[in-house]
Amino acid sequence: MPVNGLTWLVVLQLLGAMLHHWLLPSLPGPIIGLLILFIWLLCYGRLPKSLEAAASPLLQYLPLLLVVPCVGLMNNLDTLQSQWLVIAGSLFGAMLITIPLSGWLMQWLIRRQQQKRGRHD
Amino acid sequence: MIESLLASLQALKSTPEFAVGLTLLAFQLALLFYRKSKIVLLQPVIVAVTMVIAVLLLLDVPYRDYQLAAEPVAFLIGPATIALAVPLYSQLRRIRQLFGPILITLVCGGSLTVILSVLFCWLLGGSEVLQMSLAPRSVTMPIAILVSDSLGGSMSLTAAFVMITGVFGAALAPWLFKLARVTEPAARGLSYGINAHAIGTVRALEEGEECGAFSALGMSIFGVLLALSLPWLL
Repeated sequence: MPVNGLTWLVVLQLLGAMLHHWLLPSLPGPIIGLLILFIWLLCYGRLPKSLEAAASPLLQYLPLLLVVPCVGLMNNLDTLQSQWLVIAGSLFGAMLITIPLSGWLMQWLIRRQQQKRGRHD
Repeated sequence: MIESLLASLQALKSTPEFAVGLTLLAFQLALLFYRKSKIVLLQPVIVAVTMVIAVLLLLDVPYRDYQLAAEPVAFLIGPATIALAVPLYSQLRRIRQLFGPILITLVCGGSLTVILSVLFCWLLGGSEVLQMSLAPRSVTMPIAILVSDSLGGSMSLTAAFVMITGVFGAALAPWLFKLARVTEPAARGLSYGINAHAIGTVRALEEGEECGAFSALGMSIFGVLLALSLPWLL
């Protein structure tokens, strides 16, 4: 068990929760923890082995952890049933437009950057 | 025989052992099923959640009891969210290289998913709670449920929308990319990450390492951007 790395993640979560209550009520505690860790990694300049050992199994089994909040769906079965048309319309309507558009935009921007670089070389 | 078995289950049903055991067992079965069938729509999360809900309904356990007892598993969502900083840091060189395109695409694509979901929901007559639950549905679940909660949405509805988005987004994306002629792995990856988060990233990894890396990148940066900006904007 990568306890060392896990300890750091839990300490960061506590720190995030504290800052959430004290200064930043609009940002969830774990997000504050994520930002602190990212900034710390930027300053430190490398990834500690113990942190990586704790992070990779956690991220690998993220779907398992998410089962618990997803089961809360059982409290909303009637909402899903009665509102399914609104929900399906909003979800698929947005998906059909955004998925190809963001892919296309990124591809266009990459190619434009490559062309510019090509001209400078 | 069956009745006494059910009676002993009834006695155990609100203990942590039962809730955690049920969750782990359902997930392992779902994982096995997914690896054997290779059907994208049968994501382990969906199958496991269906199994757990079925058992809870059968034994007449309210969600609240299960949630309290399953806390040892759910508690790790916090540390796992913080751990997202690790892949983000590992991709630092690629992020620097394509910083402009990534940022423009994330801001445009990301805000478009949020705006369109809320707009369509409003046009179709959805309630405000429904709109606020739909707004964060495009980011990875640990972030989405926290943002939804702070917006006044329903955490469990958002969790459901994130699941549906991931599963259908990952299934529809290859077809939509073909229509729009998106072939660049980095571009496909980023779009998978923005629009189908974790499940999209799994699908992107099947296409290749670069595609997978950009999907993870899109997922984490968009998640943080949304968590930072949405509570102020809405």
